[in-house]
Amino acid sequence: MQILNFIIQNILTQAAVVIGLIACLGLALQKKSIGAIVSGTMKTILGFLVLSAGSSVIQASLAIFGDLFNKAFGLKGLVASIEGINGQAMTDLGLGSEIAITLAGIFIVNIVLARVTKFKYIFLTGQALLWESTLCVVFAYFCGLRGVPLILVGSIVGGAFATLMPAFAQPIMRQITGSDDIALGHFCTFGYMFTALISKITGNKSKSTEDINLPKSLEFLQDTYLSVMVVMVPFYLIVAIAAGPETCAQYCGDTNYIVYMFLQALQFVTGLYVLMSGVRLLLAELVPAFQGISMKLVPDSKPALDCPVLFPYAPNAVILGFIFTTIGSIIGMFLTPMLGLPMILPGVMSNFFAGGTAGIFANQVGGRRGVVIGCIAHGIFIMILPALLSPMLGQIGFQNMTCTDVDTVVTGFFFMIIKSITGIF
Amino acid sequence: MLQILTVCGAGLGSSFACQMSIDAVLKELGVEAKLDHTDISSVGGAKADIILSGKNFEKQFERYNLDCPTIFLDRLVDKNEIREKLTPVLKELGAL
Repeated sequence: MQILNFIIQNILTQAAVVIGLIACLGLALQKKSIGAIVSGTMKTILGFLVLSAGSSVIQASLAIFGDLFNKAFGLKGLVASIEGINGQAMTDLGLGSEIAITLAGIFIVNIVLARVTKFKYIFLTGQALLWESTLCVVFAYFCGLRGVPLILVGSIVGGAFATLMPAFAQPIMRQITGSDDIALGHFCTFGYMFTALISKITGNKSKSTEDINLPKSLEFLQDTYLSVMVVMVPFYLIVAIAAGPETCAQYCGDTNYIVYMFLQALQFVTGLYVLMSGVRLLLAELVPAFQGISMKLVPDSKPALDCPVLFPYAPNAVILGFIFTTIGSIIGMFLTPMLGLPMILPGVMSNFFAGGTAGIFANQVGGRRGVVIGCIAHGIFIMILPALLSPMLGQIGFQNMTCTDVDTVVTGFFFMIIKSITGIF
Repeated sequence: MLQILTVCGAGLGSSFACQMSIDAVLKELGVEAKLDHTDISSVGGAKADIILSGKNFEKQFERYNLDCPTIFLDRLVDKNEIREKLTPVLKELGAL
C-alpha cells in the first residue's frame, strides 16, 4: 500500500514523469533498442520541463501587460495564445498528468475511429493534439469530472475531433492539393470552412492570388518569431504610453518605461520560443511512435498534417491571408468589448498559421476577392469565438489569456452544451 | 553520421512531417542519417550536412550564409519529390 501511494503521489502526479512513461511505452512498442528508449524517454521529460520554463516566462510578461492594460484602458485585455493556455494548464493548474494521459488516449481513440469508420484520417500534428488535449481536460475539469472519467471523456472527445476535423476539410483539401493523399490536421477547421463559405459567395475563382507579384519585403512575415515580435512590440508600447510612466514605475523601477515594455514584449516572444522548443522535444519521440503504430493498425489511413504543408501550394495566398485575417482580427478586437466581453488581443501565431491557411482555402474557391473578404471575416470570427469562451476560462484560472484555435473553442462549447443538458436532469 | 535538417516557420509541424517522409525515403535508399527539424529563425546557427525546406522559404534562406546544400520542396511530404531531389545530393556527398 505504501508503495502504491508513493507511485500515485510522486510518479503519476508528476506530469513530466507521466509523459516520459508514455514516450517510453511508444518506443518499446516500436521495439527500439534500450539506448534509444532511454534517450527518447529522457528527451521527452526534458521537453516537458523546457515547456514549463517557457510558460512561466510568458506568464510573467503577460501579468505585467495585463495589469497595465487594465489600468490604461479600464477594461480587461486578454492575449490570445493557445500555447500560453497549454503551458499554464500543464504547470500552474496541476493538470499536466491528465493532459499527458489524455494525449495518449486521443492517439488510441483516433486509431480506433480510423479503423472502424470510413474516416481514415490519422492526426499527426502533435502540437495541435497537445492543445486539443489541454482544452478537453480543462473543460471536462470545469464540468466537474476528475480522475479516470475526466481522462476517458477527454480522450473520446479529442479523438473524435482528431478524426472528424480532417474529414470536414477534405473536400476543399482535395481541390488544393489535387489529390486525396494528405489531409489537414490543424484545429482551426471551422474557421477555414467558414472562410471558404464566405469566399465562395463573394469571390471570383478565376482570378487567383498566385498571379500577382507581391512585394518581396513582405516575405519576412514567414519568419514566425520575427512576425510575433513585429506585432507584440507595438501592443506593449501602446499600453506603456497609455498607462504612463508613473503607473509603469511599479514594474520598471529605474529603467525607462518605454525601454522596459519593449523588452517585456521580447520576453513574451522569448517565452514562446522556449515553450515551442520544449514542445518540439516533447513530441519528437511521441509523434513517430504514433505514426508507426497507426500505419500498422490502419494500413489505408491518410495522414492529417500541419497546415504549413499547404503553404507551397499558394504562397501569395498565405501572405494575403495573414494580412487580411490580421485586419479582421483588429476589427474583432474592437468589437468584443462592445458585446460586453473582454478585449481580445489578436494572437499572432494563429493569425499567421490559421490566416495563411484560410487564405489558401479562400483563394481556392473565391480567388483574390474571396481572400480579401473571406479572410477579414475569418479574422473577426476567430476573435469573437474565443471572446465568448473567455469568461469560462477566467473562472478556471486563466487571467490574462484565451484560446486561439477555433476547433478547441468549439470543443469548449460542446462541453458547455453537454453540461447544460445533463444539468437539466 | 550524415546530418539532415528540415526547416519550417515554427519548427514544429510541417518540418516534422517532412522529416518523417525523408526518414522513409532514406530507409528505402539504405542511407543512415541523423534527422532533426527546426524553425527558420534558428537556422542561421544550425549545423547540418543537408537542409530541406519548403519552396516558400527559399528567399528567407538568402539571408544566411549556409555552406551546406539546401533543397527546396514544392510538396513537403511527397516521397517521390524528396527522393528525386535528395538522391543527387547524397551521391555528391558520397553517402550513396
